[in-house]
Amino acid sequence: MTRIQVIYTFIKYEIRRAIARKKVLALVAFTILLGTVPYYALSAAGTTLIPTSTYPHIWIVGLFAVGPLFLNFTAILIAAGAMSEEYEQGTAELLLSKPIRRSDYFIGKFLGGFLLFLAILILNISLCVTSAFTFFGIQTNLQIIPGMFLAQSFSSLLFFSLAFMAGELIRRSSLAYIFSSAVFFSSFIISTFMGLIYSLTGKEIYRSIQIILPTSSANSLPIQYALPQLPPDINTILRFVNTTSAVPTIELSIQILLVYTLLTISIAFAYFLNTDISRKLG
Amino acid sequence: MIKSHQTNSSPVIEFNKVTKDYGNNKIIGPVNFSIKKGEIVGFLGPNGSGKTTCIRLLLGLIKSTSGSVKVNGFNPVKNHVEALKDLAYSPELPNIQTFFSPRDLLNLVSHELPQFKNKISRNEEINRILELVGLQEYSDIKVGKLSKGMIQRLSVAQALIGSPQTLILDEPMIGLDPAGSAHFRKVFQEYAKESQGTVFMSSHIMSEVESLCTSIVIIHRGKILYQGPVNDVTQKVLNHSFIQMETSPLKPKTIKQLEKIPEIIKIETKHSSESTVYEITLQENDRVIRPLISEVIVKSGAKLYTIKQGEKMLERAYIEALKDKKGEKM
Repeated sequence: MTRIQVIYTFIKYEIRRAIARKKVLALVAFTILLGTVPYYALSAAGTTLIPTSTYPHIWIVGLFAVGPLFLNFTAILIAAGAMSEEYEQGTAELLLSKPIRRSDYFIGKFLGGFLLFLAILILNISLCVTSAFTFFGIQTNLQIIPGMFLAQSFSSLLFFSLAFMAGELIRRSSLAYIFSSAVFFSSFIISTFMGLIYSLTGKEIYRSIQIILPTSSANSLPIQYALPQLPPDINTILRFVNTTSAVPTIELSIQILLVYTLLTISIAFAYFLNTDISRKLG
Repeated sequence: MIKSHQTNSSPVIEFNKVTKDYGNNKIIGPVNFSIKKGEIVGFLGPNGSGKTTCIRLLLGLIKSTSGSVKVNGFNPVKNHVEALKDLAYSPELPNIQTFFSPRDLLNLVSHELPQFKNKISRNEEINRILELVGLQEYSDIKVGKLSKGMIQRLSVAQALIGSPQTLILDEPMIGLDPAGSAHFRKVFQEYAKESQGTVFMSSHIMSEVESLCTSIVIIHRGKILYQGPVNDVTQKVLNHSFIQMETSPLKPKTIKQLEKIPEIIKIETKHSSESTVYEITLQENDRVIRPLISEVIVKSGAKLYTIKQGEKMLERAYIEALKDKKGEKM
């Protein structure tokens, strides 16, 4: 059996395992809710307030409103348990006592979890477009969807990797969720404050801190990709959702995301290869 | 390609001055033992003696602090695939994903085996193994709904699939009913006989080990106390052997006559009813003395119903071996 086949086996295994944990089903239910209800609410209450010229682009509102919080949080929820739950349940031991490379197991589980996340992202985008079409008519600029999908996947990879690393290092799922969420929310809050202090004082140090915080690049990349491709009047509705980009350029966002992602994956991988496989906890 | 330095006479499993520490806490060591191809070895020791640590070391799940562990000539941590290529492990009451059915698990496990590349041969092997361990009726039921005994059967099944050359069994009979234990004993015996495979089995059930194993390794407080063929170890530990015989009540004169035989150390009456059971402690191998004892009893006019080797020899030796080491610290 080739290594690719082994990895593929573990990808399938991880997807099945995560679905069986039912957490993913809850996330799917939330995705459906967030991809439909806001559009219905907008159409029911705000059609007179929303300029009709923005109707064809309204599908993007759902993505920007949901992306920064829900998608990153979804990534954390899926990734934090990928490794840690196997230690907690003691199921890692049986699998790793087989003649397979630890690296194949690691890659399979990482990719399996991330593919599941991508499925939720696809569902989110599809629902946003469908709901926008249903309530606001024909939607345009849909050609940017593949790019948006890539930008949002790449952005979420940062917190996915961070949570995956936390799960491997801490080996307790609840602590891994708490740690990753704490990093996420702290970064979000600190970034807001740093932006505020910078705008008041004009000191570059605050801006630099804001730029290197993980949430800044993760939230900026989809905006930096999509906004230049949309008509300017879309800003009338986008001002109600957070579309400010903390990172000055798309290139810098990609670089920061890459550094964080590679760093966290490398730490998790090195730790997994070089430490004992712990027995069932508790 | 990584080459093993193994020859035909090389041990399948080899522990050489192996220690394992967690911080300042010494778990095992130094441990030295080896197992050759075709041996059926019982791995004995009280709870917390280091049996599972040794098994986890040889599976490459944990690293030794010092010394070397080799499986099929390879380091199981560095060359995990090569070392465990033809080896399978059955854990004690394993933790298996509850959403799996026995068939799902065997499918996952057999996917990694090169001999079952196509689905048909894999399914045939899965059905054979399910039947062998008595799980065919439960093949599609989720693990979460299986009893302890069924899960233990599944643990053995996932190890037996593909007939590996070496089997590592951690308490394989746990949770099994007597009929299940007897069936599995037969399965392991046939496996060893047919495939000339090696079995390394940890167990607390001495009768199982005595009836199945050719050799034993006794570990206590992380150190190997004894290792070798079962009879050699029991003889070494106990320093004498036992005969058990069932007769009509013997006259004091007959007992005195028996006591005069130089090889007999003592005679104990175990219980009395219609017949009487005597246990005779001997200095030497009982086979030499048995005809002599029989002759004395028959001549005395008493009825001799049975005469055989003393029961639970291994259990006695095991208890005796640990008694010596009680209170001894690493």
